[in-house]
Amino acid sequence: MNLPKRAALLAGFALLTSACGGSDPIPNNLEGAAATVYSGDCATATETEITIYSGRSEDLVQPVLDAFECQSGISVVTNFGDPTDLALQLVEEGDRSPADVFLSKSPGAVGFLRNEGILASLDGDVTSLVDSANVGGDNSWVGITGRQRVLVYNTDIVDEADLPASVMDLTDPKYKGQVAIPATNGSFQDWFTVFRAQAGDDVAAGWLEAMVANDAIVTESNRPTVDAVGRGEYAFGLVNHYYNFQEAEALGDEHRALNHSFAADDIGSLVIVTAAGITSTSDNVDESHQLIGFMLSEGAQSYFTNDSLEYPLAAGVSPAEVLPALGDDGADFDVTFDDLGNGLTRTVEIIENSGILSN
Amino acid sequence: MHEPGSSHQARAPRTLVGLSAFCSLLLAGPAIYLLIRNFTADADPFGLLATDRVQGPLWRTIKLAVLVSVSAGVLGTGLAWLTTRTNLPFPKTFSVLLTLPLVYPTFIGAAALVRTLNPGGLVNDLLGNVGIDRTPTLSGLFGSWLVLTLLTYPYVFLPVAARFSRLSTSIEQTARLLGNSAFRVFFRILMPQALGSIVAGMLLVFLYAISDFGAVAILRYDTLTRAIETNQLANRPVALALSLTLLVLAAVVVIAERLAGRRRVDASTARSSTVTRLDLGRGRIVGIVVAATVVLFAVGAPLAALLDWSVRGLLTRNRTGRRLRVDTEEIVEITGNTLAVSAVAALCAVLIVLPIAILVGRYRTRVGNFGHAVAISTFALPGILIALTGTFFINQSDWTFNTFKNSMAILIFSYTIRFAALAMGTALLAVRAVPDRLRDASQTLGADSRRRFRTVELPLMRPGLLAAGGLVLLSTMKELPISLLLSPFEFETLSTRIFGTFNESFVTEAGLMALTLVAMSFVATWALIIRPMSQSR
Repeated sequence: MNLPKRAALLAGFALLTSACGGSDPIPNNLEGAAATVYSGDCATATETEITIYSGRSEDLVQPVLDAFECQSGISVVTNFGDPTDLALQLVEEGDRSPADVFLSKSPGAVGFLRNEGILASLDGDVTSLVDSANVGGDNSWVGITGRQRVLVYNTDIVDEADLPASVMDLTDPKYKGQVAIPATNGSFQDWFTVFRAQAGDDVAAGWLEAMVANDAIVTESNRPTVDAVGRGEYAFGLVNHYYNFQEAEALGDEHRALNHSFAADDIGSLVIVTAAGITSTSDNVDESHQLIGFMLSEGAQSYFTNDSLEYPLAAGVSPAEVLPALGDDGADFDVTFDDLGNGLTRTVEIIENSGILSN
Repeated sequence: MHEPGSSHQARAPRTLVGLSAFCSLLLAGPAIYLLIRNFTADADPFGLLATDRVQGPLWRTIKLAVLVSVSAGVLGTGLAWLTTRTNLPFPKTFSVLLTLPLVYPTFIGAAALVRTLNPGGLVNDLLGNVGIDRTPTLSGLFGSWLVLTLLTYPYVFLPVAARFSRLSTSIEQTARLLGNSAFRVFFRILMPQALGSIVAGMLLVFLYAISDFGAVAILRYDTLTRAIETNQLANRPVALALSLTLLVLAAVVVIAERLAGRRRVDASTARSSTVTRLDLGRGRIVGIVVAATVVLFAVGAPLAALLDWSVRGLLTRNRTGRRLRVDTEEIVEITGNTLAVSAVAALCAVLIVLPIAILVGRYRTRVGNFGHAVAISTFALPGILIALTGTFFINQSDWTFNTFKNSMAILIFSYTIRFAALAMGTALLAVRAVPDRLRDASQTLGADSRRRFRTVELPLMRPGLLAAGGLVLLSTMKELPISLLLSPFEFETLSTRIFGTFNESFVTEAGLMALTLVAMSFVATWALIIRPMSQSR
């Protein structure tokens, strides 16, 4: 936490001691995880400060932000929170918002902000760092990391032979009353919106209704779903891959669950991206681009995959060894998340009308 | 028993009325914001009320809130009686422990309860050793009811215990001597005298239950708050209309309670010098079992999961060498932040409700009734709305925005509004703890009103006001949405850090910080609520 301050102090000290000798490089003083993100010299601290509203947890992004401060000399101020709440706050703050950059756990919140006209168009030199599938409409946001949709299952209850190849198979009677779906959660809703865009509303709504008829269980979000499957309260859960690794990490053998990936070309295997955008009211557009570029650099991407076990989206970084490989270079579908903001309203309507919320 | 202020037909002092009106207006901020936003977003609350989309969740919300307030009322009153009026052993320890459920933020408290009690959880593991395979699943109406009851009964327990501990035992003893059973004495003599406190506590529980999102979401029960959350980004007008429905529901219940309770006032009674506790005889063991069971489920069960997450997590980490995402230095810093900001919020909440409480407690005025109703109804609104209200009002001009954005002032102010309801009930009891005749006497003796307030009234109100502040303090320590949105940048509290880590499944870190929160709250409960209460006896 004190790294930035310490960095600034050291920078000031270095300036004093070097007298009129110009700006000598400042040795890298990063510690812990931040040191793995960036190992070069630190830049001289500048006056510039950028403000980030982050719907991604401090536990995940702080090391990258610390490293960026060292690398760029730009200081970063953060407001961490729930992506939905932060998005509403941004709308309420309007033109006076101090936010420069918005980080989201999923495309839904950035899509919403784009519709509200709050996000600026990103420059091509940032958007070109990732596959075009991971860029929002009007270049309003860019994907930073990926989380794959998987079926988490309890290893004591489920026989591996019974694992389905497609998410569509879960409507089979043999899964009756066994599949938990966090239907009100952002990542499921984002997945469902892409599903609708790919397969059409009739197919998507039909699948959800069949899941309801098959007594699917509605849960709150990814974490409690994975927790419940790990205990054996439910046999299966439709979640993002990321959570099961963290739970297993904390609980060891007590946690009895594994991830199962559907076939690589199945809609059930979609990679949902975490995203970043720049506000249209930002006064620090260049510095904000610098930050997003830094998050897509090799050091940051390899930290994201090796430390928090997310899928890297840029700089040719390969996923951490424990992560199952995605299909060809991660872009399994011709998916654009473009519709996610607009599509969310209809998605929620379909989910509410399907009756799953009272299942 | 008599009407408040019936011995004081004098009109309320103008400064008091003015001050109360001002405070009431501040407290009405969220309601005003909600009305404005419903209007600007073209929300259609009335049209929406006719749809299944609202009727289902609305009906479930009411059902849940009624059940929870009744059970919390029974449990809270019973436990208050056990700890203050009987010879239950370790009454003070039990009092502190029985207050603790208040400190669990619901999102982690409910999750921890589920982790301990649901199939495959810790209890299941224990019972598995003796051949019991499956434990009942907490979910739906039953699960939400049980969990919310366990987390909210202290809202009844605390004020009722305070009331009971102040009631004279002489009538009770006489009644017993005349051959009345303990039960009869409880229902005919004790309960009627504490009815005001019981109902006020139940009202808070009702409002808490309709505003709760954390517990019902985890327990998979589809209520209004879940519908609001689901539509927050997807359909803003619907979310706003549903929030307004929630506020109207709260206001209706609060006003109904005021009307029904007009004649029911806990009259101030002189404090008894001696407290004789009822000898439960062989029933003592039943009392111990009841109190211990509640402590076991409401405090022990969540604590078990928190310990499991922390300890097991630390052990596995030793093996795998993965980094822990918080360190001691950070925990100390955010604990300090949490305590400081909560203490100031508690003080401010007491100050903002005190004029209204004095006005309501001693005079009959429209302003007093209005302020009281507004303060209490606001408790039913989800915290995110209070946070957005703060942003909305400071965003009316460049000057206000630049001055208050990122300031402690807006954070503390929003906490104050959010939890004024908690301070109100207890502050009202504190005001009524000052006997009219004592005020009359000091007036006759020529003490001016300011001096009278400082030297005569304030010392008498002190335990009640401390308890009011204590309740706000405990709630602020665990508050989430306001802390996340309005804290100055880089200013973090225990609850915001717990939220961030827990949501990303870093359960070890979340467990460690939640344990810190519980420990802090334990100390605060003892120092601010339980000790002053027993000293006032």
